[in-house]
Amino acid sequence: MPTTSTVDGTARAAVVSACEDVHDAGEADHVDGVPVALVARPTSTAQVSEVMRAGSAHGLTVVAAGRRTKLTWGRPPTSADVLLDLSGLDQVVEHAAGDLIVVTQAGARLSHLQEALAKEGQLLAVDETVPGSSVGGTLAAATSGPGRVQAGTLRDLLIGLTVVRADGVVAKAGGRVVKNVAGYDVGKLVTGSFGTLAVVTEALFRLHPLPATRRWVTVPFDNPAEAYRLAQSVVHAQCVAQAVEVDWPAEGPGTLGVLLAGIEDGVAGRASAVLDLLGGDAREDGSAPDGWAAYPWDVSATGDDRSTALKLTFALSGLPDVLEATRHTQAPVALRGSAGAGVVYAALPSGTDVAEIAAAVDALRTVCMRHEGSLVVLDASAAVKDAIDTWGPIPAIDLMRRVKDQFDPDHRLAPGRFVGGI
Amino acid sequence: MSGTHGTPKTASGDTGQDRERDAALAAVTRTARELIPEAGVITDHMRLRTYECDGLAHYKVTPGLVVIPETPEQLAGVIGACAEHRLPYVARGSGTGLSGGALPRADGVLVVTSRLRAIREIRREDQRAVVEPGVINLDVTKAATPYGYYYAPDPSSQQICSIGGNLAENSGGAHCLKYGFTSNHVVGAELVAPDGSVVQLGGTAPDSPGYDLLGAVVGSEGTLGIATAVTVRLVRLPEEVRTLLVGFKTTDQAGAATSAIISAGIVPAAIEMMDALAIEAAEAAVHCNYPADAGAVLVIELDGAAVEVEGEYTKVERLCNEHNAFEIRVARDPVDRALIWKGRKSAFAAVGRISPDYIVQDGVIPRTALPEVLKAIADLSTESGVRVANVFHAGDGNLHPLVLFDDSVEGAGEAAEKVSGAILDLCIGHGGSITGEHGVGIDKAAYMPRMFTDEDLDTMQLIRCAFDPVGISNPGKIFPTPRLCGEVPGRHKGAHPLQEAGLAEVF
Amino acid sequence: MTAEKETAPLVDLGVPIPGGAFDEHRPPDAALVGDCVHCGFCLPTCPTYLLWGEEMDSPRGRIYLMKEGLEGEPMSDSMVSHWDACLGCMACVTACPSGVQYDRLIESTRAQVERRHQRTAKDKALRALIFSIFPHPRRLRLLRGPLRGMQRTGLDRLLRRTGLLDRVSPQLAAMERLAPRLGRAERLPEHLPASGPRRAVVGLLTGCVQGAFFPGVNAATARVLQAEGCDVVVPPRQGCCGALSVHNGREAEALTYARALIEAFESSGVERVVVNAAGCGSTMKEYADLLADDPAYAERARAFQEKVRDVTEVLVELGPVAPRHPLEVTVAYHDACHLAHAQGVRSQPRELLGAIPGLELREIAEPELCCGSAGIYNILNPEPARELGDRKAGNIVATGARLLVTANPGCLMQVTAAIERSGHPMGMAHTIEVLDASIRGTSLSGPPHKGD
Repeated sequence: MPTTSTVDGTARAAVVSACEDVHDAGEADHVDGVPVALVARPTSTAQVSEVMRAGSAHGLTVVAAGRRTKLTWGRPPTSADVLLDLSGLDQVVEHAAGDLIVVTQAGARLSHLQEALAKEGQLLAVDETVPGSSVGGTLAAATSGPGRVQAGTLRDLLIGLTVVRADGVVAKAGGRVVKNVAGYDVGKLVTGSFGTLAVVTEALFRLHPLPATRRWVTVPFDNPAEAYRLAQSVVHAQCVAQAVEVDWPAEGPGTLGVLLAGIEDGVAGRASAVLDLLGGDAREDGSAPDGWAAYPWDVSATGDDRSTALKLTFALSGLPDVLEATRHTQAPVALRGSAGAGVVYAALPSGTDVAEIAAAVDALRTVCMRHEGSLVVLDASAAVKDAIDTWGPIPAIDLMRRVKDQFDPDHRLAPGRFVGGI
Repeated sequence: MSGTHGTPKTASGDTGQDRERDAALAAVTRTARELIPEAGVITDHMRLRTYECDGLAHYKVTPGLVVIPETPEQLAGVIGACAEHRLPYVARGSGTGLSGGALPRADGVLVVTSRLRAIREIRREDQRAVVEPGVINLDVTKAATPYGYYYAPDPSSQQICSIGGNLAENSGGAHCLKYGFTSNHVVGAELVAPDGSVVQLGGTAPDSPGYDLLGAVVGSEGTLGIATAVTVRLVRLPEEVRTLLVGFKTTDQAGAATSAIISAGIVPAAIEMMDALAIEAAEAAVHCNYPADAGAVLVIELDGAAVEVEGEYTKVERLCNEHNAFEIRVARDPVDRALIWKGRKSAFAAVGRISPDYIVQDGVIPRTALPEVLKAIADLSTESGVRVANVFHAGDGNLHPLVLFDDSVEGAGEAAEKVSGAILDLCIGHGGSITGEHGVGIDKAAYMPRMFTDEDLDTMQLIRCAFDPVGISNPGKIFPTPRLCGEVPGRHKGAHPLQEAGLAEVF
Repeated sequence: MTAEKETAPLVDLGVPIPGGAFDEHRPPDAALVGDCVHCGFCLPTCPTYLLWGEEMDSPRGRIYLMKEGLEGEPMSDSMVSHWDACLGCMACVTACPSGVQYDRLIESTRAQVERRHQRTAKDKALRALIFSIFPHPRRLRLLRGPLRGMQRTGLDRLLRRTGLLDRVSPQLAAMERLAPRLGRAERLPEHLPASGPRRAVVGLLTGCVQGAFFPGVNAATARVLQAEGCDVVVPPRQGCCGALSVHNGREAEALTYARALIEAFESSGVERVVVNAAGCGSTMKEYADLLADDPAYAERARAFQEKVRDVTEVLVELGPVAPRHPLEVTVAYHDACHLAHAQGVRSQPRELLGAIPGLELREIAEPELCCGSAGIYNILNPEPARELGDRKAGNIVATGARLLVTANPGCLMQVTAAIERSGHPMGMAHTIEVLDASIRGTSLSGPPHKGD
C-alpha cells in the first residue's frame, strides 16, 4: 500500500505520457481535504487504461471522478495521488430507441443524457438527486430518488459496461440486450462500489418510454403513525404509484407525496383513487412538490458548511419507528425519502454539536438495524466524520475484502473511502 | 455447440490422484451420514444414476454421492467437509435447468435442495417473503396470493423449478419484460460459501452497504456458493389482467406489431410469439385451440390499474389491426387465460410430440433485429433441412428456437447441432447474447469466448477467485478455461479441471 | 424409435439388454421411455415426490430406472422399492406435456417385477393374503360377518386403542382401520326394468369391495339407471374385473379375471357396461390392450371395452329425464384418480351434482393429488398413505362442506379414516347415492357413512 501522496518524477512522466491532459493539482482538486498530486483528464477508454497502467507500475493511488459532485461522499481516501477526471468521456455514444437501450460514456452528464433520450420520447428511469451528476458518478454512488419504487435503481437498469481495472486491463461485461445471463453480473458488483473496484468508462442502460402524463397527490401528516397509515394505504393499493414519498422538515408537519405516471386517462383515474384513499386533506397537482427528488440538504455545500447527510434503509413496516426516532434526537433532523421503498434521507444542519450528531447517528442506526436495514453517513464535515462510523456493521465484509483483493490487490483505487477501510 | 449425446467419460488420471479422490469422497460421505438422516445420503448406483442429468438430458454424469439435506445447517456441514477435503460439489434444485448447470461431477457430491422447501415467512406489510431454496417458484405465489401479492418472475417451468435454481440462473420468464428478472426480485440471501462459512448477503431492506455481492451471486450458476434462505420481493397483484391471443399470417407481421406497440410507449406485462410449428406442437399437447392457420401468434398481456389497462388495450388492439392481425381473442376469465398461457408454457416439452428429439436454444437479439434474424433462421432451416420451431419473448428479443431432429437417423444429431450453433452465432453477430435466461452451464461454455474477450472472462473470474479460490463450487461450468487463482496453499492438483471432470471431450 | 437398428443408441433398441432388469415378455416399451424429455413437469403432481423430494420417487425418476433396466442394469431391491412406492395415480399422465404414457410403463414394469423379482417372505405372504380376499366377492362377503361382529362388540375399537395390530403388522392394522362400518347387505336381481320409456339396456358391474362393503351404492346405481330409462342387467356370474391384479403386476391373474368378465357380460346383449367404481372402470377400458396378445379374446376385448362407461358418463350421455328434488347441502367433490387422471372423467360428475337444486358444489384444494388409497397401496405402504390421507382430509375439511362425495370405494374408505382422524366428522357418499337421493326425494343419511 502506498504511503506517499506526492508523485516522483518518473511516475509523473509515466502519467503524462499516458494521457494528453495532465496537470498538477490545485487545492480545488483535493478530495475531501486529501491532497492530490496530479489531475489526469483522459478522453478515451484507451487513455484511461494507459493512465491506470502507469499508476500500477508506479504504485500510484487513483480516485476517479465524474463531475465531482459526490467526491466527498463516504470516507476521505487515505491517499489520492491521481485524480482521474472523466469529464472528457462525455459522449452519448448510441441511442437505439427501437431497442430501448442507450450506450453512454461515464463522464456524460445525466441531464445531457436525459435530454438526448427525450428527443425520442424515452428516459433513463433514475432521478437526478444531485444536480450536475455524471452517469459514472451516479453509478459509483448508486444514488436514487422517488422513482425507484416502480422503476428500480440504476443496478436494475444497467445492462452492460466497460471497465478499466487497476492493472489497466480493459474489460466488458453484459451487452446490448436486456435479457442476458452470460457470465457474472460485473455491473451490479461495480454499482455503488465508490470507484474502489474498477473505473467505469462506458455504460449501457435499458430505457423506458417517457410517460404521457404525471400527476402528484399530496397530503399532510403530523405524526409517525398517521404517516405510516397513509403510506401503507397507497403502498398496498392497486394504483401502481411510481413514488410514495415522505417529506418531514425538522419543524412543522410532514407531507406524503404520491406520483402517478402513465397515459392520460389512466393517470386521471388512478389519481382520483388515491385522493379517495388519502382522505379530505389530499390535493392533486400537475407539478412536483417543492424539493421533489432532491436530498434534504444542500448538496453544493463544502467543508464545514456541509450538513450531516444520512441514508436510512429499513423494512417498510419500520417507517413509524424511524420517523419517531428522528423527532427524538437532540439535534433537529430533516427527512425526505421513499416510504414505498424503505429508503429515506435525513440531514442534521451544519454547525450542530458533534456529540449530538454522533448520538443521533447511533440512535437512528439502531432503529434502522432493528428493522433489518442500515444507516450510512453519506457526507459530513471532517470533524463529524472523525467522530462517527460512516458505514456501520457489514456482515459480509470478509468476502468483500477478498473481492477487493482480487480486483485491486495493491489497494490503489480510492483506498479508504469504502466499507471496512477498503 | 449446444450438446453432444452420450455420457462424458470419467477421467482416467493417475491412480494416486484417484485414490486421493476416493478418500476425499469417502470422508465427505462419512460426514454426510453423521449429519443427514440415512434416506438423504445416496450411494446406491441405481439411485445415483437417476440424478445424472437435469432438464438437459444430452449430458449425463453419474455423481459420486448425492445428499439431500433437510436443514441449512446440514447443507453447510456437507460443504464444509467438501472444503476440508477439496471435493467438488454441484447444487441441484428441481433438476429442470436447460444448460446442464446441475450436471454432477463423478468425483464429487451433488447437493440437492429439494427437502429445503419451507416457506418461512410471508410478510405483507414489508412486501417480502423468506423461503428456502427448494421451494417451488409457483408455490411462493400461491402462498402470497391470499395476501393480495405474488412473486413476479415466472419461468415457463414455474410449477416445478425451485427458487434456488432461479437464483442460480437469474431466471426470467414471460413477464420479465415489465417486471424484470430474478435479480430484481431477490433482495437477500443466506449463502453457504464454498469454504463452508455462512454469510448474509443483502436483506429485507434495500441497498445494503458495501459491495453488491448478492448481485454477483444471482446468476452465478452455483459457482459462488449455495443459498440456503432467500428473501424475495413480493409484488401487489394487479387490479386487472387482460390477456390477448392475436393471430397473424406471418412472423414478420407479428414482429412489426410488436415493434409498433413498444414504440407507442406501451410496456405490456408480456409479449410472446410462437410460429406455426410451435403452435402445432402446443395444440397437440394441450389443445389450447389457437387461431387456425396462424403463421404466428402473439400472446400479449396487459396489467395494472383497470383504467390504465383499458387505455392500453385500446391502443394495442388498434396497432394489432393496423399490422394485419386476422384474429384478436381476449381471455374472458382466469380459465381462458390459463389455457392461453398453457399453450405457450408447454411449448418446449410439447415439441416432443411432433419430433422425437430437439435442442432448445436461448439466444437474445436486439428486438429490432427480429425480422432479419427470423428470416436467417428460416434460411438456415431450409438449407440444412432441419426444422426449427420458434417460441420467444418478442418484447425483449429472447429467442427459443427449437431445433427438431430424429436421433435415430444417422447424422441428424450433428446437423441439428450445427444449425443450433449457427443460430447462436447469429445472435452474437447482431450484438445479442448466447443466453437470455437458461444460463451458460456446460452447454454454452464453449461459446463464451465468442461473446467475450479473454480479458472480459478473466475479469469475471476474479469474482470466482474471491469466492472459491480452491475451485470446488460447481467447477467446469460457465467458463471454458478456469483461471488459476494465484497461490493456493497445499499440493497443486495438476490435471486440467475440465479433464478431471471428464468433460474435455465434449468440446 | 422402436426399430431395432444396430447403430441406434442403447435405449432405442426394441429388445432389453440381456442380464438386465427386464426380459422380452412385454417389457416397458423403450419408445415410450424415450418420449420422456426429462422436463420435470410431473414432479409437483406426484404424491411421493411431494412427500419425500427424491428423484427416484418421482415419475421422471421411475422412468429413468426403467431406462436403466432396459440398458442392462439388474433389477435390484432399490429399483423395485421405488416402483412399489408409486401409487399409480397417474396425475403425472395428466401433467405431462410430452404425452408420456406412464400408466402403460408402470403396468408393464410391475408385471415384470412380479415375475422376476424375489420379494421377502413377509411381503409375499401379505400380498397373497390380500389377493386371496379382495378380488373374490364371495370371500369378501364372508368377512362381513366377523367384521360386523367385531364392530358390534367394540373389539375393533379395542384393537385400535391398544395398537395391538400395529405391532403385529402396520399393514394389517391399516386394513382394519379402513374397514367401513357395515349395515345390512342387499343383493340385486338379475333384471331391473326401466321406469318409464326405455332408452337403453345397460349392464352393471357389481364389483368386489363395492359389492361386499357398499352394496347400497350398487342399489342406488341401479335405481338411478332405471329412473333415467335404462333396463339394468346384472349378470350373476360376474367376478372381479382384475384391476387390483393389473395395478400390482399380477398379469396372468388379471388376464383370467378379464376373460371371465368379458364372458359374463357378452351374452347379456347390453349396449353399455356401467361401472360405479373408478378403479374398475379404468382397467376395463384397457382390456383391449391387456388381451392384445390373445387371439381368442383380442377382438372380444375390444368390443367389450368400447361399451364400458362410468355411471356418470352414461348418465350425461343419455341426458337427464328424471326430475331432481332439492338437496340443500354443501358438497366437496373429490376426483378419484382412476376417474379423473385415468379416464378423464371430471366434468360429468360435476355436471350431475351441479344440476341438483339446492346443492352447492365446492372445489377441493390440490384436487390432482391422490388421497393415498391407490388400490391396495394404503395396505402395503401405510405410512405414506396416511400422510397423503391426512393432507387430503385437511383440504376437504377446509372447504367447509358438509358432505364429501367421491366415486371409488377405496377413496371413500381411505378418506373416511383420515377425516375421522382429523376430528372433523363429515358425511360421505358416492356420487350416485346423492343422485339417487335427489331423484327419490329422500334425504342423505348423516355421518358416518353406512354400508347400505
